[in-house]
Amino acid sequence: MAYPPQSPAGAPTPGGEGQSRRSFLRTSAVFASGLAALAASLAPLRHLEDYTSLELFMQKYYKELTPEEMAKVLQRIEREVERQYGVRPHVRDLKPMNGVEFAYAHNLTRCIGCRKCVHACVAENNQSRTPEIQYIRVLRMPHGTLDVDKSEHHYDPKLVPEKGYFYMPVQCQQCKNPPCVKVCPVHATWQETDGITVIDYDWCIGCRYCEAACPYWARRFNWTKPSIPKDRLNPDMAYLGNRPRRQGVMEKCHFCIQRTRAGRYPACLEVCPTGARKFGNVLDPNSEVAYILRTKRVFIQLKEDLGTSPRFFYYFDV
Amino acid sequence: MTRNGNTNRVLAVLTLLFSGLAVAFALRLWGRPVVLPPIPLVDPIFTNTATARVSLGLLLQTHGDTSDYDCYTCHDKKEPVKLKLDDQGNVVLPKEHSDLVMGHGSHNRNNNCYNCHDESNLEALQTRDGRHPKLAESSPLCGSCHGPTYDDWEAGAHGRISGYWDRKLGPFVRQNCVACHDPHKPAFPPRAPAPGPHLLHPIAQAAPPQERNP
Repeated sequence: MAYPPQSPAGAPTPGGEGQSRRSFLRTSAVFASGLAALAASLAPLRHLEDYTSLELFMQKYYKELTPEEMAKVLQRIEREVERQYGVRPHVRDLKPMNGVEFAYAHNLTRCIGCRKCVHACVAENNQSRTPEIQYIRVLRMPHGTLDVDKSEHHYDPKLVPEKGYFYMPVQCQQCKNPPCVKVCPVHATWQETDGITVIDYDWCIGCRYCEAACPYWARRFNWTKPSIPKDRLNPDMAYLGNRPRRQGVMEKCHFCIQRTRAGRYPACLEVCPTGARKFGNVLDPNSEVAYILRTKRVFIQLKEDLGTSPRFFYYFDV
Repeated sequence: MTRNGNTNRVLAVLTLLFSGLAVAFALRLWGRPVVLPPIPLVDPIFTNTATARVSLGLLLQTHGDTSDYDCYTCHDKKEPVKLKLDDQGNVVLPKEHSDLVMGHGSHNRNNNCYNCHDESNLEALQTRDGRHPKLAESSPLCGSCHGPTYDDWEAGAHGRISGYWDRKLGPFVRQNCVACHDPHKPAFPPRAPAPGPHLLHPIAQAAPPQERNP
């Protein structure tokens, strides 16, 4: 019987022929520390969960979701919000109502520029507090002109209104012919049948084309993860409305979709101390906005010459 | 042995590279995010929906203190109050009513208490056409002079409304004239504005822009 010669170190090592225990251990040690270093160098990926999850990555386009799939998506959002903010929200997917087209009317005679609408909007719609994201920009305009280039929104007097000025809040105008929708390369923003232009925050890729296209400077971009204090989170949420956004997506005024599609007035209207803001269904002849458009001196749709045809009207009392 | 040596060398180089990366990430050698100074949260008075004034109607609704409106704790029911007038024919307010400002209408055209108050019953009002609304239901009295504004108010175009725009889905609240206007001095009072927008960049935040003069 012939046996192959045994190696001097004893039994053959699993690392291969001719390898000593010492070199095997050394190789494994280097390999293990290499793996550890690799893991450590991938540390930034730990934060990836804040941006996407497998469920979010596999989610279908909003308009293609079946009601069952939508229910799952809403549950995922509720879970994510609870994990991040410690508050269990109620997220709904509200559809446009039949026979309803929203319009907003703003009374330039009554507005005193107190900016309460700005902050009521922030509180209602869960906007980031640092850095600040605000949907409404109140412009202080000198009497005698409607040129927004002459406006100033960093005014800070002791008391408002100031002599010689009037105030014009500008927010998303919910255009009938919205330029922002046309430029979106992924159809993450579109106009619904009740006139609200909505954004699917889960579909937006953050290219900011819409921000550039909007002539009213109405769209806002989340440069960082929005910061909202837990105790100021509004738990009444809608998918296309005020659910917390992620870093890297656009947002804008949506006429408080979570309120208005449930029949309520928007937050900016309810907080206005002078009642300068009016909202309603323009197709209903008995609504306030229909009355205003019929009887009042409605001077503009802002930047009318662009042909965007806003659903936000400015009017005077006298 | 040379193959093993090569493997080890490659692994060592990779280990060093990855360790370097890990240290770099830990120390944030690239893209250290700008730390924004926290913007103070806005005072909740700017987000509450309270009306500009506390009217008698609101006090009755919320069961507040309405003692200021019990005229006959001081006045005598049987003795009608005579107005004191000065040389120009303006009403001289007694010190008990010194909190009132007679500021309704310009050029002193409306300076007689009994243009609105009922002299025979101080806890009621009177219109020129002989109606006597209660103190808490004064809006029709206002409308007897301010017709177009009253029409706008009834249609919802003037004044504050809250609740449901869709009347089928829920109730709505329309505020009365006196919820915002002091009937003795009706001009809407100036108020302090809520804080303006903060600039995105901390350097810009530290030095706010010069106001442009229009």
